[in-house]
Amino acid sequence: MFDAAMAVVKPEMKSYIWLQTVDGSIQQVEEEVAMFCPMICQEVLQTGLGSSKTYAISLPQRVNPAMLGLILDYCRFHQVPGHSNKERKTFDEKFIRMDTKKLCELTSAADSLQLKPLVDLTSRALARIIEGKTPEEIRETFHLPDDLTEDLCQEEKLEPLRNITDDPRIRLLNRLYARKRKELKERKKLKDVEVEEEPKDERSVEDLLSFINGADGDIKGTRANKNKKKNRRRKDHAKDISSENTNENDKELNPLPSAYHDVNFDNALEASASKHSRTQNLPAINFSPKFEFIDGDVDDDLDPAMKEELDREVEDFARRLNSDWPERMQILSLGQDRRLVPISMNSNGSTHLYTGFDQR
Amino acid sequence: MQKMAYTFSFPEEVLEHVFSFIWSERDRNAISLVCKSWYEIERWCRRKVFVGNCYAVSPLMVIKRFPELRSIALKGKPHFADFNLVPEGWGGYVCPWIAAMARAFPCLEEIRLKRMVITDESLELIAKSFKNFKVLVLTSCEGFTADGLTAIASNCRNLRELDLQESEVEDLSGHWLSHFPDSYTSLVSLNISCLNHEVSLSALERLLGRCRNLRTLRLNRAVPLDRLPNLLLRCPQLVELGTGVYSTEMRPEVFSNLEAAFSGCKQLKSLSGFWDVLPSYLPAVYPICSRLTSLNLSYAIIQSSDLIKLISQCPNLLRLWVLDYIEDAGLYALAASCKDLRELRVFPSEPFGLEPNVSLTEQGLVSVSEGCPKLQSVLYFCRQMSNAALHTIARNRPNLTRFRLCIIEPRTPDYLTLEPLDSGFGAIVEQCKDLQRLSLSGLLTDRVFEYIGTYAKKLEMLSVAFAGDSDLGLHHVLSGCDNLRKLEIRDCPFGDKALLANAEKLETMRSLWMSSCSVSYGACKLLGQKMPRLNVEVIDERGPPDSRPDDCPVEKLYIYRTVAGPRLDMPGFVWTMEDDSSLRLE
Repeated sequence: MFDAAMAVVKPEMKSYIWLQTVDGSIQQVEEEVAMFCPMICQEVLQTGLGSSKTYAISLPQRVNPAMLGLILDYCRFHQVPGHSNKERKTFDEKFIRMDTKKLCELTSAADSLQLKPLVDLTSRALARIIEGKTPEEIRETFHLPDDLTEDLCQEEKLEPLRNITDDPRIRLLNRLYARKRKELKERKKLKDVEVEEEPKDERSVEDLLSFINGADGDIKGTRANKNKKKNRRRKDHAKDISSENTNENDKELNPLPSAYHDVNFDNALEASASKHSRTQNLPAINFSPKFEFIDGDVDDDLDPAMKEELDREVEDFARRLNSDWPERMQILSLGQDRRLVPISMNSNGSTHLYTGFDQR
Repeated sequence: MQKMAYTFSFPEEVLEHVFSFIWSERDRNAISLVCKSWYEIERWCRRKVFVGNCYAVSPLMVIKRFPELRSIALKGKPHFADFNLVPEGWGGYVCPWIAAMARAFPCLEEIRLKRMVITDESLELIAKSFKNFKVLVLTSCEGFTADGLTAIASNCRNLRELDLQESEVEDLSGHWLSHFPDSYTSLVSLNISCLNHEVSLSALERLLGRCRNLRTLRLNRAVPLDRLPNLLLRCPQLVELGTGVYSTEMRPEVFSNLEAAFSGCKQLKSLSGFWDVLPSYLPAVYPICSRLTSLNLSYAIIQSSDLIKLISQCPNLLRLWVLDYIEDAGLYALAASCKDLRELRVFPSEPFGLEPNVSLTEQGLVSVSEGCPKLQSVLYFCRQMSNAALHTIARNRPNLTRFRLCIIEPRTPDYLTLEPLDSGFGAIVEQCKDLQRLSLSGLLTDRVFEYIGTYAKKLEMLSVAFAGDSDLGLHHVLSGCDNLRKLEIRDCPFGDKALLANAEKLETMRSLWMSSCSVSYGACKLLGQKMPRLNVEVIDERGPPDSRPDDCPVEKLYIYRTVAGPRLDMPGFVWTMEDDSSLRLE
């Protein structure tokens, strides 16, 4: 038996490891070269794979045949003892002379194989490529999107509408546009500051959210009230809303919340509120929007799923705001149309609104 | 077809690893502006942040943006505080920052402050809040006493660096050093050079004896020379040493002990201190001179001949700070000996004297510019200068990045031609293309500012005093210097037009200081209203500026960009020109 075993071993002059890349190709590699990769070494020791073509080691997805070839070249050189430090350094310097894209792929592949010396080498090379460049140059080198400043394109759509007839709805829209434009400009300026504040400023979203919550029932209203208290504590000065402001805000804010409510909110939430409950909610509609417009910050308390849904609705609402004027008027007129009945039952304003309807 | 971005197949941890090899703040800032994903990765792996103006951003903003900070550097008062132009109590309080970071960053390890006010309570909070605290650097700071230092010594078990460079420490007893626990051994750097009182030498000796990794030791003046050998014997591994007073009774054993102690410091590369030098003791350092790369003798009254002997034995100097006692002859010797010199600072010994007390002229600087090919940084106080000399310096050393010339008497002309020094400084900015910092002095017209605006494209900091003719000078600088970050101006006839015409420029700068100029209060108000991201501070200790006409010039004006809004800790003599319309339609 002993002699037989020796006879079996003798013919093999070299050991090989079988490796398979994601595209299915399989190749055999000298064992000492392959084992230089910690990930492959672990796999061999733990699973016994790699000893034959049938039991090849499956390499991570990030390692394609081209990258594997490069990595094995690196391993072939460095696993041989006896090279001087100077020789190793010279090899490394030549080795990393490649375009940026390939360097990124190689870094990623080496990382998945846990080949730390090579990861360090390529990472340093990428770092040297990045150093001294402006953000624009870095984006160009790495083909990255300019998505930090995408919001600036929205600025053009926010030009104020000319308010010839002093329409409170147009005044409100212009106020919203002005606020958003200001935020976009602030975001742009922040980039000049050495310590950057987060470029994403969500106040514009909060403003729009205030309409959604304003149109909702008591529960959300209560939650909004909690937010208001929190915000007021954070502010250095208390805002005193005079009766005049109250009236003006009341007048300005009424049309939009109900418009949005009637057109979208019920459908989105599949609410089954009856006409009666809508009538009962009128005071809430009148009350909540003006406060939230001033203090609005409802993100913190919202459930994430709910917030995500609201964000989608906000985007839809923003799209409508940015649509052509006739479409906007259509939205608003729908709101007006439906509100005629409850208002006429309650206030003198019905005459004015009715007249407006006739003019259209 | 749109190319797939590399980051889609590039894991975040790998990108984070790449970023870990990028250290410069400028590069980190550029990375964070590339795209959303890089912004997020960079902000989570940023460990060090530099805030050039503590009022430009709020602590909460920094905390929110960089949740894993380990090290922060903060600057407070304007640079002109060093020249007593900023009133006491102006601000620069670090307390809100320490309080916020104590809650948010329990793992914070390093705090570096410059020109800030820090109280003992803040030092106590630092000592208690950061369990692995390692580095405390207080440069030109004030407001604390030995009690604060005692808290640091008692509680910071991992402290490696305690640096009190040029700080003002009140009511100091020297016993705070004995509060370092006997088990404490981690000190690497200790700088107590600013302390005015005696320290406990026995406590210091015990501390040095057990901290085997100490590399930097800068003693204060009160440490006597005959005790220095004992200290050095305990830490022969020192790389940087600042002596205390460098004179005592002349006794042979003191000299031989000193010489032996210096010889025992085989790794010493940097020397400073040398208060009250007795020239007879200078040869004690000769054995280590050939190793020195840095020599700070700016507190040392050493005559030129003794300096020449010393400097001639330091061929490897990279940096020399010295008083004007060196004279032209000493600078000739420096130029002949020190071919690797990169930085030279020559300070005035008698800045308020009416007549020259030393023979230091423009020729000394010219000779250094000829003899030291690697010279990059110059700070030079003198009493005479000429355009010809400045032309020669510019031609000799186009690699200068910092050139600060301080001719002691304001409005001194070219002493040869009696003309303004415009063309000389013009040559400096035209030929030194990498110039980042410039200080002007002497007789200067608006023409020098035209040169600066035209040529100084990499200039980041400019200091101007008693110069210029009209608003046009300031306009040249603000409209021409693309990279300007800090501008400080005193006693110049610059007024409203240039400031208002370049208001947008101010938002790209860190700060602008103007004192004793021609900026009106009305212009300041207008600027504050027009530029909501600027804090426009009028500093007037005479009373409310509102009590005077709008066209009345303000005494002191400090403008800086901020995303934090008006600061909350203003004293009574500071008025912020706030944007008074909270929600304007444009």
